[in-house]
Amino acid sequence: MKRNKGTLILGIGNYLMGDEGIGVHIANLLEKEQLPAGVDVLDGGTGGFYLLEYFEIYEHIILVDATLDGNAPGTIRLIKPRFAADFPPAMSTHDIGLKDLVSALQVLGKMPEIDLFVVSIESVQQQGIELTAKIASVVPDIINEIKCLLHLNDEILAEPPFGNMIAMP
Amino acid sequence: MSKRIVVDPITRIEGHLRIEADIENGKIKDAYSSGTMVRLLEEILQGRDPRDAWAFVGRVCGVCTSIHSLTSVRCVEDALDITIPPNAELVRNIMFCTQYIHDHVVHFYHLHAMDWVDVVNALKADPKKTSELAQSISHWPKSSPGYFSDIQTRIKKFVASGQLGIFSNGYWGHKAYKLPAEVNLIGLAHYLEALEWQKEIVKVHAIFGGKNPHPNYLVGGMACAINLDDVSMINAERLAYVGQLLQDGKDFVEQVYIPDLMAIASFYKDWGAIGGGLGNYLVYGDLPTNGYRDPSSYKFPGGAILNKDVSKIYDVDLRKDDEVQEFITHSWYEYAGGDDKGLHPWKGESKVKYSGPKPPFDHLDTDKKYSYLKTPRWKGHAMEVGPLARVLVGYGRGRPEFKEVVDKALKDLNVPITALFSTLGRTAARGLESSLTAQWGLDFYNQLLTNIKAGDTRMAEMSKFDPATWPKSAFGVGHTEAPRGALAHWINIQDEKIANYQLVVPTTWNASPRDSKGGMSAYEAALIDTPVADETQPLEILRTIHSFDPCMACSVHLYDEEGKTISRVSVLGD
Repeated sequence: MKRNKGTLILGIGNYLMGDEGIGVHIANLLEKEQLPAGVDVLDGGTGGFYLLEYFEIYEHIILVDATLDGNAPGTIRLIKPRFAADFPPAMSTHDIGLKDLVSALQVLGKMPEIDLFVVSIESVQQQGIELTAKIASVVPDIINEIKCLLHLNDEILAEPPFGNMIAMP
Repeated sequence: MSKRIVVDPITRIEGHLRIEADIENGKIKDAYSSGTMVRLLEEILQGRDPRDAWAFVGRVCGVCTSIHSLTSVRCVEDALDITIPPNAELVRNIMFCTQYIHDHVVHFYHLHAMDWVDVVNALKADPKKTSELAQSISHWPKSSPGYFSDIQTRIKKFVASGQLGIFSNGYWGHKAYKLPAEVNLIGLAHYLEALEWQKEIVKVHAIFGGKNPHPNYLVGGMACAINLDDVSMINAERLAYVGQLLQDGKDFVEQVYIPDLMAIASFYKDWGAIGGGLGNYLVYGDLPTNGYRDPSSYKFPGGAILNKDVSKIYDVDLRKDDEVQEFITHSWYEYAGGDDKGLHPWKGESKVKYSGPKPPFDHLDTDKKYSYLKTPRWKGHAMEVGPLARVLVGYGRGRPEFKEVVDKALKDLNVPITALFSTLGRTAARGLESSLTAQWGLDFYNQLLTNIKAGDTRMAEMSKFDPATWPKSAFGVGHTEAPRGALAHWINIQDEKIANYQLVVPTTWNASPRDSKGGMSAYEAALIDTPVADETQPLEILRTIHSFDPCMACSVHLYDEEGKTISRVSVLGD
């Protein structure tokens, strides 16, 4: 299997569990945006091992996920995990699937470059598909951070030369 | 004085299941199973468009995602009296079979095998002897001494890095591990092979369901238009690819999974007398060959078995008020009409009322309410659901395909038929039905090709998709056999919206707390008399519970606490 794809923004989480689904909300929002060629978006849901393929064909994965790490709700952190153990101590309910996946990639010797955005949430006790006000308020920040990582904000074009196309850095 | 062991959480993948077991003289005397997260999907669905329900229920869990969506569209189609076209049924069947072999292989190698295979011991194996052994049990080509030697080198390097990862949670060296080093090495090698294989077979879901995870379903059929010559549709190239994936899946099941299963089982025949439990089995049935409305055409026949008597199979009616009922005597819910009665799911209620101890706690108060799972019963009986139930009902109904695989396995292992009612039987049944579904998937695929070549490309029946055509009030039930067991959704539609939606999922049948008469459910019953050699490492508990393939994310939701160790064990009491 060759890595023949560029960057995948992969939102992880359970959409039915409020803030725990933040990764999926972000993926859904980014899917509607015009992103540069070579940058794809996937709502990974609670995919676990199903997602292995994506980690093998993309050079670079930007993961977005919720965490219960005790930080103030809405705290956004960027982690460069090399091992499953580098993930925050209490990732959300699907964490074991995701950690197993990362461990599996290590055993197979197929780890891509991973940037992991974790968003601290207060609890996964809430039910429903809506985000709490606190987490909803940091959604633009998360999207902005992702774009910064991709250098999409480096050149704000007042007059896009090619319609909506964003210039690559 | 007995000691109580707590294993929490017990699943290696998703969710939160807590087992409390009392040990006396090295055996389990009493056991309690508790789901410690609450699922309230029912409330999320209320007031929504019934045609959208599949998309929400598909999110219940990442492992059995498509199977909930399938059940959901079926309950809506039942309520609205929609009959789907044959091709849609075939595509659903193909996706069902794909789900089975994916789920069962992943469960076996990545969740359950580590209860039987000692990974650390595999590093001591002689690659040459391993190769000879592998070639004696299978034609699978990857079996040279060099191949097994490479696997050992990779794992040694991995272990030396200090990052055990997936292997950090085993009770390596436990005396209940009985496999020779060479069999352990085969198990380990195929753990890695199965990882790579599983990501291929799921592409069938992406092709027919548009995406994976969480593929698309459609009330009335499937949302995959077929046109052999159109690049944007399910065309000849895509169909050929599906055929290849299904064939590869069958090869893997036949040449890797089944030989490994039989080789491993032959060293654990004592587990053919452990972990039996209830002896009552329930199957709703699935894989229609003449339409979903003709249950006699199902490849997995439905039915119920009581007291291990496979000579008598009872019919099951999901619509009858007094057959499937859910009780909450020991569950953190309350019913408007009192907690002592059972409710049929069409009248089901899901009002949570937690009355357990405040976390963190040592013990649940198991005399009172102790789980977020309700307690389903069939005609008042506790029932086991899952692969063993399906294989026994198929066998009891006299289906030749079931008789053939079961009789062969019993003969090869040289064990009596009673060995089926056990932890070993449950694990073997999962493999046997994988070999059946791997073949059936190809059969359905060939039927689909035949239909398409004959000019039938219909994939959805849309005449009743418009809510204007619906009755003011409608009730429906949809069922399937999830890999983990019988699954059904009940819906009540009022004025084009969901008025009530109830899911009774397999793990609820198996992992629920006691009923109003104190009767145990499947997990609890199966643990009684299980030997526990070392109470700080209750490997034996994991073997039996994992043999059911728990999927707690299916059964319960929400509630999480710090600490993500896979099986946190504490020995309490004295």
